[in-house]
Amino acid sequence: MSTTFVEEKPTQNLEAFKGVKKVPYEEYYTSGHRTCQGCESAQIMKLMAKAAGPRTIVLGSTGCMYVANTSYYATPWGVPWMHTQLGSAGSGALGVAAALRAQMRKGTMRAEPINVIAFCGDGGGADMGLNAISATLTHPDYNLLILLYDNETYANTDIQVSGTSPYGVNTSFSTPGKVKRIMHHRWKKNVAPLMAAGHPTCKYVGTISTSYPLQAMNNIRKALSIGGPTFIHCLNPCPKGWDFDPLLSFQLGELAVNTGIWPLYEIENGKLKLYGKTEQIAHGRFKRLPVREYLLKQGRFAHFVEEDIEFFQSKVDEMWEKWLVPGVIPLQKELDARNPPSP
Amino acid sequence: MGQLIAVELIYRGVFQKTLAKNITRGIVLAAHNEGKLGISFGRYGDSPERNGIPAKSFAIVANDEETLQAGMAQYEPKQVDVTVVLDDTLSKGAESWAWYGLQPVHHALKPGHTLIVISLEDAPTLLQSIHRRDEPYKLGVLKGVTSFSGMWVYKDDHTDVRVLGAIAKALPELVGLKAVEQFITDKLKNSLKVRSAQTAFERFESIEVKPGQGNPDELPQFELLKWEDMREGVSIKGQPQGGPYADPVTKQVGGFRPARNGLFKKYSTRTQRPVVNFATCTKCTLCWLNCPDASFDVTPDKTYDANLEACCGCGICEDVCPVKNCITMVNESRFHDNNSQWEAFKKDHDAYLKWLEKTIESGQPEPNRAYGFRYRGQYKEQVPEAIAIAEKG
Repeated sequence: MSTTFVEEKPTQNLEAFKGVKKVPYEEYYTSGHRTCQGCESAQIMKLMAKAAGPRTIVLGSTGCMYVANTSYYATPWGVPWMHTQLGSAGSGALGVAAALRAQMRKGTMRAEPINVIAFCGDGGGADMGLNAISATLTHPDYNLLILLYDNETYANTDIQVSGTSPYGVNTSFSTPGKVKRIMHHRWKKNVAPLMAAGHPTCKYVGTISTSYPLQAMNNIRKALSIGGPTFIHCLNPCPKGWDFDPLLSFQLGELAVNTGIWPLYEIENGKLKLYGKTEQIAHGRFKRLPVREYLLKQGRFAHFVEEDIEFFQSKVDEMWEKWLVPGVIPLQKELDARNPPSP
Repeated sequence: MGQLIAVELIYRGVFQKTLAKNITRGIVLAAHNEGKLGISFGRYGDSPERNGIPAKSFAIVANDEETLQAGMAQYEPKQVDVTVVLDDTLSKGAESWAWYGLQPVHHALKPGHTLIVISLEDAPTLLQSIHRRDEPYKLGVLKGVTSFSGMWVYKDDHTDVRVLGAIAKALPELVGLKAVEQFITDKLKNSLKVRSAQTAFERFESIEVKPGQGNPDELPQFELLKWEDMREGVSIKGQPQGGPYADPVTKQVGGFRPARNGLFKKYSTRTQRPVVNFATCTKCTLCWLNCPDASFDVTPDKTYDANLEACCGCGICEDVCPVKNCITMVNESRFHDNNSQWEAFKKDHDAYLKWLEKTIESGQPEPNRAYGFRYRGQYKEQVPEAIAIAEKG
């Protein structure tokens, strides 16, 4: 038996909450933040803190969840929280995990497993912070979670395009014009599979949605318990930037899943598992809703004509019909059938 | 130095962002038609705006460049000649994104000057919410429904020009009706909008508000930390953990009330609030679990009570509640306190349920009031109704 030289440390081993009635009352991210009405990004902060519990350190890179939560020496956080720079969720988390280990080794603090979570927005995570997150996910020794809360734009600075903004969307950088209607023609970055495929030793990568709060919390608990660096990508409807009535926040999160736009899955020790409605879609037990139902409820797509809706639908259909792993891995099935990559 | 005239608009962040910008821009361009100089700007501290959180926007106008420059050198006008409140639920005051605490809506208004509120209510009703002050002022109601849109789609229901018409009446030394008409004709190129501005001008009236008249409630006081209060590592204290609390009648202790950040309360962020029927609540947890603001207290009965210090009125609880009419969102202007609904229910079930029914009824139907974009074509449908209500006066 060979030695791996990996210095694994125990985690808190957080069991799944068995049902909504078993969710603890304690809040570690409480009221009194300066977010919008119906802010689902604040909701995932609340769920994340609740799932992780009191022995947790949270780091936040610049974005809505930094600015709106820490203005004027006021905070809703009930666990230690520290700001880290816009692209530094990965390096910040790794540094804190390493510092904790060093302090415990030196005996300057009590040795115990402490959750380290760094969150980043889509700007901080999917754009600027990608390299630091990637580097962090290759370090097997440190237990930490990077949570990407994705509101699909730079929402804090008033809605500029990010790498995860959906096709055709109206943002401050892609205002539709009379001559050119679609000013943003890039497809949303597929971040979680990028992390899973690129970092084979990373034990847990997954997607969650705030509209399935119990499942989201349990997946966060699993990611914190499994050991090593882990990554979760969460879609958060943003009433301000997506332009919808705040009471629709929850529904739009559900619709993103039910239309197949936002697949829910986890990749645990290299094994992919679709869950929730996404699993039902994949097994034909639930028929994907047309993307129209999702798009037409949002002012950011108000300039879409029939042709654009059809294009959007065709791209989502492609995800489900032509991808090697539907909704997850964008390698084409045909290629695989013609020329199998491995025997 | 000549006279500087300042106009302040108090509005709902994002929902009325474009509306506020159009109005302040209109003031400056209309005043320009009278040979005056001006500039319009939003309050820096309110940016980036958040949905529903009160924000301010200004227009300053002068006869000469030097006076205007002097005005522009100020962060924001300290005193204004007219204040316009674009949503009547803001009558309770504005606690903006930036650190100012809760300010009454006439905070910066010069004595004797006019406060304009867009509302379907009359002035005495609004004075139940507008705080008392020591100096007299005038209060004028511009009859109309609150115009909310969003970041990308604007509801063009003539509110912008109607406000210009009312300002021309309230403060003719700023801008006259002729100049407003000319601005609309030249820049907006819409004769119906000229008509709307004229009607607003003709119908707009104000009443004198005497010192001490209005809402007697004390403004909540906040103690903001100073830099020397920071601890080692430039850190501040986090929030403590909450705990169970007592039933006001049985004195039984249970449930859970989270501790809350006391430095930012959501009283003036709400445009509507949830009212809860504790008798039909099935204790399913969904409102509590899905509230982004952690605003629900778990009562000793294990029902859920929206704590109005923390509730920002988004309406998600109403949306996720599986019981019909158990949680209902009602326009915030129907309420004059922030007391616990559950305590009222516990003290007298029947009286509470009667109050609940009456309150929900008083909020229905809400003419044409939507809190943002729900579906395509919605604003087009709403515009004729909004204009009809405005014309009726």
